[in-house]
Amino acid sequence: MAFDLNLLLVGTYHDWLIQGLRLSLGIAGITLVLALPLAMVVALFRLSPVAALRWLGVMFVESIRNVPLLAHMLFWYFGAPELLPDSLKRWLYAGNIEVLSATVALTLYTAAYMAEDIRSGIRGISSGQFEAGRSLGFSFLGTMRLIILPQALRVTIPPLVSQTLNLWKNTSIATIIGVGELMYQAAKVESSAFRSAEAFAFATICYLSVSLILTGLGLFYRHRFPVRSA
Amino acid sequence: MIEVIQTYWVYFLIGQFPDGPLGGLTLTIVIAAGGLLLAFPLGFALAIARMSPWPILSWPITGMVYVVRGTPLLMVLFWAYFFLPSITGQKISQFSTMLGALVLFNAAYLSEIFRAGIQALSTGQFEAARSLGLSYFAALRLVVMPQVMRNMLPSLVNQFVSTIKDTSLGYIIGLSEVSFIASQINNLVLTKPTEIYFALALAYFTLCFGLSRIAFWLERRLAQDESRSKMHRPSKPTLLEQP
Amino acid sequence: MRYARFMTSFILLATLLSPLAKADQLADIKKKGEIVVGVLGTDEPNSFIDPATRKIVGYDVDLSEAIAKKLGVKLTLKQLSVAARIPELEQGRIDLLAASLTHNKEREAKIDFSLTTLVTGQRVMVRKDSGITAVSQLAGKKVLTVKGGTQEPNIRKAVPTADVVTFETSLQAFIGLQQGKGLGYVNDEVSLFNNYGKLGDAQKDYVILPQNLSIEPLALGIRKGELGLKKLVDDALRELEKSGEAEKLFFKWYGPNSKVKFDKRTFRIDSDKVDG
Repeated sequence: MAFDLNLLLVGTYHDWLIQGLRLSLGIAGITLVLALPLAMVVALFRLSPVAALRWLGVMFVESIRNVPLLAHMLFWYFGAPELLPDSLKRWLYAGNIEVLSATVALTLYTAAYMAEDIRSGIRGISSGQFEAGRSLGFSFLGTMRLIILPQALRVTIPPLVSQTLNLWKNTSIATIIGVGELMYQAAKVESSAFRSAEAFAFATICYLSVSLILTGLGLFYRHRFPVRSA
Repeated sequence: MIEVIQTYWVYFLIGQFPDGPLGGLTLTIVIAAGGLLLAFPLGFALAIARMSPWPILSWPITGMVYVVRGTPLLMVLFWAYFFLPSITGQKISQFSTMLGALVLFNAAYLSEIFRAGIQALSTGQFEAARSLGLSYFAALRLVVMPQVMRNMLPSLVNQFVSTIKDTSLGYIIGLSEVSFIASQINNLVLTKPTEIYFALALAYFTLCFGLSRIAFWLERRLAQDESRSKMHRPSKPTLLEQP
Repeated sequence: MRYARFMTSFILLATLLSPLAKADQLADIKKKGEIVVGVLGTDEPNSFIDPATRKIVGYDVDLSEAIAKKLGVKLTLKQLSVAARIPELEQGRIDLLAASLTHNKEREAKIDFSLTTLVTGQRVMVRKDSGITAVSQLAGKKVLTVKGGTQEPNIRKAVPTADVVTFETSLQAFIGLQQGKGLGYVNDEVSLFNNYGKLGDAQKDYVILPQNLSIEPLALGIRKGELGLKKLVDDALRELEKSGEAEKLFFKWYGPNSKVKFDKRTFRIDSDKVDG
């Protein structure tokens, strides 16, 4: 079978694949928006002066990072929603529960990794800065927000970009809980048209393009804003 | 739930072994260990090629590493499993497909770890070795590598944790590793999805958390050694850091 | 450098090991003394794991065993996902497919089929409280099934507007139905009846719609052009039919004492022709 480029450019299969790409991008986008603030909170928990909060932070990060995303997905789709009360369950299941479960799993997973990057970024700022802030009368959160975080951001952006890249790749795993993202649509084209080469080539190029753009952004940022050693 | 555990725990741990193929948690560990160890030579080769002074070697290899790291492992698996054999005529089992994909993936990530490790080592070490009359490769092998390996241990343990988690994707190509087995058990039992997937998560957690504690302990010990020997410690690769 | 030498020899070895020409598969099987049969292991009662022995059992497995016996070779089962069945066979990683495989015209272009080993309808199970009594009422509703089989195209053909969600195994789709994540669950009749049988007390909450989406002749899959193997497999199946063994196997897995509860067998293993 010759490679049929036309299959990818027009028609039903093209529509399926584009639909998949859109959903993948959408899930990645929403997850990023949700995961960043969550990661910030978890990172602050882990650095907080209160031991109980620190422990909560550690538990969140460790329990999530030590389990594969695939297991998270299965758990959040087949397992967790079953614990909800019936009426809520019914309401959820009437909507797109597949996408919802995948987004929850991805958000928690991504946030756990981002929290660690943010934390190490903050820890990279010399403690003198923090003490100076506190002794000038700023509160813990005030010092963080006004003095530490702006500096930490510069160090943290490159690893956060690479986590975003991982997030983008990880959206592909949502295929196992029936989310109609890119991977799922490629497999659908494969089984309906027996056109595996075309479908997989399309998906691979999509994944790679977005990944390389993100990699490029990361390299550009590091080049443009090199970490100041102070 | 106790009844489910009693019925299925052996299956969960070893699959159909010894009357059938090995599966379950044991297969997960075997394939992850294989996928990491076999990636070592390739990872070294890639790291050295990337740092070589000849752009004709370093550029394509750098490009390749970016491509591998920019593609979801799942995608690589699909290519290797459904498509590659029809071109090459090779018969590859699910096990070898998974192993091959893991080796390729790990090699790309390991090359980054090795590169960071080698770069962190002061160039003086390499130059001293060369000026003592060692060849380029002898200097790498006898002087640089042993130190790099030691410094890289914590990162390597972390990479092992990632690899264990990556094996879960074997589920999709019907490799009977522990996620597949858990799903199969869930299908047979039907009524306990939350408990079964929780048990699966717990199994991974125990394994990976244990390993990451070892990595943490190694890191601390090495840090102590270093404060004595005043050697530079490699920073972790930041860009493209892997989950 | 040592590693470079290692890699080169590795690549060389891989090249040498690759099969240069396709030999006759039947001769190959006999030489190896082993036939590798691809099964699902996730589709009760055709092939599934028996928890007590941790072995794959079922109708497909019993048929495979009979064929291995006829060949005088050892039977090795290999578990596959539904979507991987045909690629695995085409690429020669397995010798024979016994994996709830529908024989249809589209697939004849890719692989050959044995005599039909089972005829089953394909139907839809729904929850009673959904109020759905006919397949057409699934329009615009979420319907769950397995990825890579004939179930998905068949339901799309019957109800083009249905929102079809697919999973790696059919039982995951069934769990989805039980949890209320979709209104309908599509599968082969024999599997549906079996799943229904496993529901126990909850059976009253579910109903299998009477309308057949299609009639599916299931058969064993053989690599295209392997006529020697096909003849032998067909002969073995004919012998099973003649000796009454085939009927026994049917009632063992699908009869009144099984969860499927069929009381008669409406087909015979005697033809490898299907309607277009």
